[in-house]
Amino acid sequence: MPVSVLMSDFDLPTRSASGFLLRYIAPRVEPIQLYSFFVRRLPFQLSAPQSDIIIGVGHGDKDSFTGQNEAMILEVGKYNPREVKGKMIKLLSCQTGTVLGPDLIANGAKAFLGYVDDYVWVMDSDLAATPWADEMAATSLMPVIDGLNALLDGKTAREAFDTELEGYTRNAGIEEDDLIRSCLEFNHDNAVLLGDPAARVRTRPKIMIPIPPPPIFSPVS
Amino acid sequence: MSNQDWERVKEALRKPATPEAMQEAAEAYAQYSKVSLGKRNSRPTLVNLGKGTGYPHAVPVDRIPEELATNPEFYNFMKKIVDREKS
Repeated sequence: MPVSVLMSDFDLPTRSASGFLLRYIAPRVEPIQLYSFFVRRLPFQLSAPQSDIIIGVGHGDKDSFTGQNEAMILEVGKYNPREVKGKMIKLLSCQTGTVLGPDLIANGAKAFLGYVDDYVWVMDSDLAATPWADEMAATSLMPVIDGLNALLDGKTAREAFDTELEGYTRNAGIEEDDLIRSCLEFNHDNAVLLGDPAARVRTRPKIMIPIPPPPIFSPVS
Repeated sequence: MSNQDWERVKEALRKPATPEAMQEAAEAYAQYSKVSLGKRNSRPTLVNLGKGTGYPHAVPVDRIPEELATNPEFYNFMKKIVDREKS
């Protein structure tokens, strides 16, 4: 299943969120991965039409989603419907669920998962070089990863969405810090699923990696 | 698990973003942070993926009081995160 993964990486929030995608999602998808400098409009235009799923990390607002250094990727009224038609789209970005998400669905996207307000979390700046090791950020970002893995495993959009929500609820229940707990509850309340909740993508047959080496035939003496 | 200091932060953030309310929220948050994330051996930073907002994408937790006291946009941003049931 071809997947476009867009991982902006130019400031602390994009570094943190893309770090989790790089560690937990990128290794399992086919290589249409746009990272850092390549998260721009032209590479996206080339990769998106070939993909079943589009997963993006970047800054956003009500009617746009941006990539590296806030380069425009998707903006209401300024993209070709061919880029999104029949796709499942997950945008880890602020507010794109209010106007852009419905617009993507109106232009043929199967399902959209995003947020109707800001996406917020607490991260450890000391771990910017290894963002996937950040336990503070993991409280918010691992539910996103779990939802994406569910989607890539062939679960429906609704099941993937529920997986993410359950993650926020579970983590909020055991989180001792009030600010982190508020962020989790805020993200939970603002997550949104649009389009067909029963939409799913076909999964690849599971391949055991590493593939076992061929048998060694020793000469018969 | 909410403590009294956090309740003070929430209470302060319920007011409209006047200079007095912002100062009160800043002081309440400074008091709260003495017993929370500030204790961890790390540099916790509040981040978001917004675009074109009037508040920074990343604010170190120990600088939240300063930002609360001076930036009404950030005050309202914190208000909607912390006190959702009232805003």
